[in-house]
Amino acid sequence: MKLHCFDRKFFHSSPSLTPIQLPSPMETHLWYVIPREVKSESLLNKYLDILSPCEKENVFQMRGEEPRKNALLARALVRTTIARYQINSRVSPRSLRFKKNIHGKPELEWQFSDHGLSPSLHFNISHTSSLVTCGVTINSQIGIDVEEKDRTLKHNILSFARRYFSKDEVQYLAAILDPEVQRQEFVKLWTLKEAYVKALGRGFSGAPFKTFTIRYKGVTGGSFNPLEDLNPETLQIVVDSFDDPIELTSNWQFVLLELAGSHYAAICMENNVDIEGERTVPVKLTVWKTIPFLEDECVSGTDAVKRISGLK
Amino acid sequence: MASATASSVSFTSLSSSLRQNQVSHLKKVSVSFGGKSFKPVPLRFRVACAAKPETVEKVCEIVRKQLALPADSAITGESKFASLGADSLDTVEIVMGLEEEFEISVEEESAQSITTVQEAADMIEKLNEKK
Repeated sequence: MKLHCFDRKFFHSSPSLTPIQLPSPMETHLWYVIPREVKSESLLNKYLDILSPCEKENVFQMRGEEPRKNALLARALVRTTIARYQINSRVSPRSLRFKKNIHGKPELEWQFSDHGLSPSLHFNISHTSSLVTCGVTINSQIGIDVEEKDRTLKHNILSFARRYFSKDEVQYLAAILDPEVQRQEFVKLWTLKEAYVKALGRGFSGAPFKTFTIRYKGVTGGSFNPLEDLNPETLQIVVDSFDDPIELTSNWQFVLLELAGSHYAAICMENNVDIEGERTVPVKLTVWKTIPFLEDECVSGTDAVKRISGLK
Repeated sequence: MASATASSVSFTSLSSSLRQNQVSHLKKVSVSFGGKSFKPVPLRFRVACAAKPETVEKVCEIVRKQLALPADSAITGESKFASLGADSLDTVEIVMGLEEEFEISVEEESAQSITTVQEAADMIEKLNEKK
């Protein structure tokens, strides 16, 4: 279902965004932009216009036209996405202020009651050279990581894993005989680990990769092989941390999917909803493909969003 | 910085404004003493105990290889990995490449604070001194 926000002539005078209702608890909204589809220079200038001076400086520091464009799209996506959830019309993408938490994780700076935004809005961005994404939740910490499906390492995968991943994860990867499958599983595991660390918001050194294991778990019980039993309904992803006690690690839920046919996307969010004693509630996910100020398309349920695990 | 304050800078002129930006930044590094709001002050102290040029050159080589940059691409001590196009996976691979090349071991806490070529080179020298 394609939703055109408005007549294309409009954005020359006053760019506008389709307002969206806030996600409910245990729901994630995911927005993404495909950089190669954004070509209009006047549109790129509109994006530049809503950035803060500091953000503009960071964009200009990037080397090369494409990296600059991607940096620009990342900031424009965050600002326009958050502005959609305004409760009244007093928020514009340009007026948003961001700050960093004590560990450097970017957060929304909520400025009093007339800001018109919920103070419990959380977001996280991730981008590659060919995709820019922004996830939004209410009341839950969120971390997102995207990686191109065909990403390769310069190093040998197992050498890299032995250096940075946990023993169990190395064992999991080492047991995969097909090098292509091994590479895919590595990329998925990397995105999951990144998403977890980003959700924690403690920075890379706050949760060193070696100190936690992310693994698949079958919810139906009994033995299973995640590489054969690929039913997303029964495949769960869990984290075991050597530093944090079990009840804390069960607070984190993971969603893994194939996005836009080209990327693996991992979403990690805090589970603080206790429904009838159920510790884990399936995460509801709604995904939009967007070109801010131009068009939005809800792509949930289409081929652009192929769940691998963790979704209802 | 000139490019940041001029809101009328259009996207098409980003390439030329970037060159201007770099040149004016370099000029400020060499003449400013007070440092004001720029990095130049800590940079001056760091120059006194900076890593050997050969170390910096080797780091540039490793970065160039990891990010598949052309041999003639300008990478200096000041170059930020992120600005060169490195994402988190690239950065970790760069650190791993440095560990292999220089036979050192980098704690993850330290790895996080390496964002430029110079910082990587300085850390390598520091770790080498401890050996």
